[in-house]
Amino acid sequence: MLSYTFKKTSILIKRTFHKSRILQIALITVLWFIAQEISLLTRMPIPGGVIGLVLVLALLYFDLLSIRSLALGAEWFLAEMLLFFIPAVPAVLNHQEFFGWTGLKILAIIIVGTMIVIIGTAIVVDFSFYKLEKQPQPENKQ
Amino acid sequence: MNFELFLHYRPWLMAAEVTLIWSFVTIGLYWLSKRFHRRYKKWWTTPIIITPILLIVITLLSHTNYNVYIRGTHWLMALLGPATVAFAIPIYRRRNIIVLYWKTLSIGVVFGSILSIASAWFLASAVGIDDTIRLSLLPRSISTPFAMVISGEIGGVPELTALFVILTGIFGASFGQLALYWLPLKSKLSMGASFGLAAHVAGSSKAYELDNEVGTIAALVMVLTGIFNVLIAPLLEAVLS
Repeated sequence: MLSYTFKKTSILIKRTFHKSRILQIALITVLWFIAQEISLLTRMPIPGGVIGLVLVLALLYFDLLSIRSLALGAEWFLAEMLLFFIPAVPAVLNHQEFFGWTGLKILAIIIVGTMIVIIGTAIVVDFSFYKLEKQPQPENKQ
Repeated sequence: MNFELFLHYRPWLMAAEVTLIWSFVTIGLYWLSKRFHRRYKKWWTTPIIITPILLIVITLLSHTNYNVYIRGTHWLMALLGPATVAFAIPIYRRRNIIVLYWKTLSIGVVFGSILSIASAWFLASAVGIDDTIRLSLLPRSISTPFAMVISGEIGGVPELTALFVILTGIFGASFGQLALYWLPLKSKLSMGASFGLAAHVAGSSKAYELDNEVGTIAALVMVLTGIFNVLIAPLLEAVLS
């Protein structure tokens, strides 16, 4: 009887989790928090977010966590990601020296450098894709 | 509980006010600019360009110090952590891509990382920028948490690096689409790899908008690049000094 009740409750919890975006967001945040603690305790130079990512991949791989109890929450985090970056940008106000010649130089380095990286990486990966990989599937072509 | 004492504890109240007001302003502006972007689809209407500009104008007009602003909105930036964790889901769904194309992916990560560091170094040396800024510029193309760790390790200023990382992301995400449109590329692998490598999370998020698979590859390459860079940081430090 007791085990029956336990089973029923666990199914109920699972179902609620699969439907609720807020619970999933909370779960992802808790997992990140645990990973952050692991990162601090072991003094690894790897940020908590990445340890959390590997942790979740392992949990999914070993079937300890179903993808349905994270998918909605993850979707939200990925869709609203830009918001989390925005508070860092007004930091330029703390650096008066950037509103001038130095700022323009830095901007130029970032723009030209990023263009070089985008174009260079794209060309090398495209080349390697057609030279090294055995069977480029039709759906990978555009 | 002594409610009167609680009310007169000013630092707590001020922190709460700052958090409430600036979080509300930031989220509100973000929400409005998202709606605006949906209406007028232009590259310059994207929330990551419009919202910070409006925020800077508002903080300047209200004579708010950035240190006060960031105290109120720091929790939003902290959400980048769980957002990184969230990338596990698309990566897990498309894990066959790693198995299939591990060779090309590793070539892309190694080549792109070296290109990114080298281009920053040579460009900064060419225009003549002082050493701390130059070092802070090196890890600009990887996601913020990694970049700040590396920047501190090689002798840069982590806070400056965070700013450069964001600027790179904004530019890479906006320019990436244009560049990849001009280049005669055929594989989704190369589009995803360059978005993820050059513009980290911002690039991956943009890539998701374009195509689910390109976004997944971008996220994957971003994470791999971050890990690769952390691993080669001691080597980089030895080369630089």
